[in-house]
Amino acid sequence: MNKNWSLSQEDFDALLDWLDSDREQAGIKYEQIRSSLIKIFTGRGCIDAEELADETINRVTRRIREIQSDFTGDPARYFYGVAKLVYLEYLRRKPPQTPPPPPDSARAELEYRCLEGCIQRLSEEDRDLLLREYGAKGRTQADRRKALAEELGISLNALRIRVYRIRLTLKECIEKCIQGSPL
Amino acid sequence: MKPEIERQEMRAFLLGTLDGDQTTQFEERILTEPGVYEELLVVEEELIDQYVAGDLSALEQQQFESHFLITAERQKNLRFGKLLQKYANSHIGLTEAPPVPVQSLSLLRARSRRWAWVGIFAAVVGCAGIIFVRGLVNRREAASVEQAIPRVVVTLLPGSTGTEGSSAQRVIVSPKGGEVKLELELTNPTFRNYKSELFRENKSLQIADELRIEAKGEQHVVPFTVTGEMLSPGDYQVKLSGVLDSGADEFIDNYSFRVIE
Repeated sequence: MNKNWSLSQEDFDALLDWLDSDREQAGIKYEQIRSSLIKIFTGRGCIDAEELADETINRVTRRIREIQSDFTGDPARYFYGVAKLVYLEYLRRKPPQTPPPPPDSARAELEYRCLEGCIQRLSEEDRDLLLREYGAKGRTQADRRKALAEELGISLNALRIRVYRIRLTLKECIEKCIQGSPL
Repeated sequence: MKPEIERQEMRAFLLGTLDGDQTTQFEERILTEPGVYEELLVVEEELIDQYVAGDLSALEQQQFESHFLITAERQKNLRFGKLLQKYANSHIGLTEAPPVPVQSLSLLRARSRRWAWVGIFAAVVGCAGIIFVRGLVNRREAASVEQAIPRVVVTLLPGSTGTEGSSAQRVIVSPKGGEVKLELELTNPTFRNYKSELFRENKSLQIADELRIEAKGEQHVVPFTVTGEMLSPGDYQVKLSGVLDSGADEFIDNYSFRVIE
C-alpha cells in the first residue's frame, strides 16, 4: 500500500464520473456503496467497519484511471473485490476488540428525557402506533404486528416500514436533543 | 427469493451464522441491489427489538451478544430499543385495556351472585366514566396538539436541478418544528402507488411508500409529509418512484428545495 498517496480532487472527480455521468446520481451511488461496505465489514465482525470501508474506497480511487479503461460492469462489484482484500489484510493485523464503555447514568437519563420529548412531537397516529407496537405484552413481535396490520388495514410490510421510519425519526430527534443539551 | 426466506437469510447474516458461499452471494447483493440494503436496515432494527423483548432463542441471544453487538453504533441502537421499550412499558395502560383478571370471573360462581352482579355493574359504569373522561381529555389534547403543531404545504415541480440551483423552491420551517407537506407535482400520473425518498447531501433521511395521487386543481400531486424537526437550513432532494405491480420501483423524477431560516 502506498502510504504517501493522498486523495486528490481530480481522482475523486474521476471516481464520481466512473460511478455515473450525472454528478447527483454519482453522489448517491457513492453513498450507497460506502454504506453497503460498512454493513459488509460489520457483518464480518470488524469493529472499525467505517475505516475499512474508507480504505476500500481510497484504494479504488487510487487506481481509478486504470480501472476506468480496463473494467467493465457494475462498479459496485469492483469495490467488493477490493473489500475482500482489505478484509484479509485486516485479519492479519486484527486489533484487540475492546467494546466501548456503557453510557453513564446522567447520559442515560438525558437520553430518556429526550426520547419522551421526541415521542410527544410525533403525530398522534404515529405515537399511538408506536405504543401499540412496543406496549402489548405476552405476544411476540410477529403476532403483535400481524394483529396491528389487520387492524389498520395495511400490509405487514407497509407496517414494518412505517415502524422503521418512526424509529428513524425518533433517533434523529434524540440525537439533536442530546447535542443541544448540556450534560 | 420469498420475502420470508430472504429475511431469515438477513437474520443469519446479522447474527454471523450464514455460511461462506451464502455470505459472499448476500454481500454482493447488499452492494448491487439497493432494496436489499434497505431491507437489511429494517431487519436489523427488528432483531434488536426481538432481543429487547426476549423473543430470541437462547442460541440467537448468544450470537446477538457475541457477534451482532460488536460496533458502537449497534450498541447505541440497542440502547435506543431498550429506552423505547421502557417508555412503552410505562405507558402501556394508556393504549390497552388490561386483561380481565381470572379472580373476577370466579365471583360469578360465588354464593352471593347478586353482589357480584352489583359489583360488575358498578365496574362497568366506572369504566365507562373513565373512558368518557379520557375521551374528552384526549380530544382536548389532540385539539391542542393540532393547534400547536404548525403545518407547511409546499408544491414542488419535477426536474429541479441539484443542490446549487438558485431556482430551488424556498421553504421556511417553523422553529416549533411541525410538519412539512411536500406536494410533488406529476406530469404523467400512471402508477397506483408511489414511493418517495428525502435526501440531504446524498444521505437518505426519510422514505415513504404506498403514497397515492391527489388531485390539485388540474394537476396531480403525490403528497409526502416530512417532519420539520429534521429540516435544518440547507438543500434537499426528493426522489419519486412509481411502484409497479411486481413491487419493483421505477424512477420518475427528482425534486429539490431549500430550507431557509
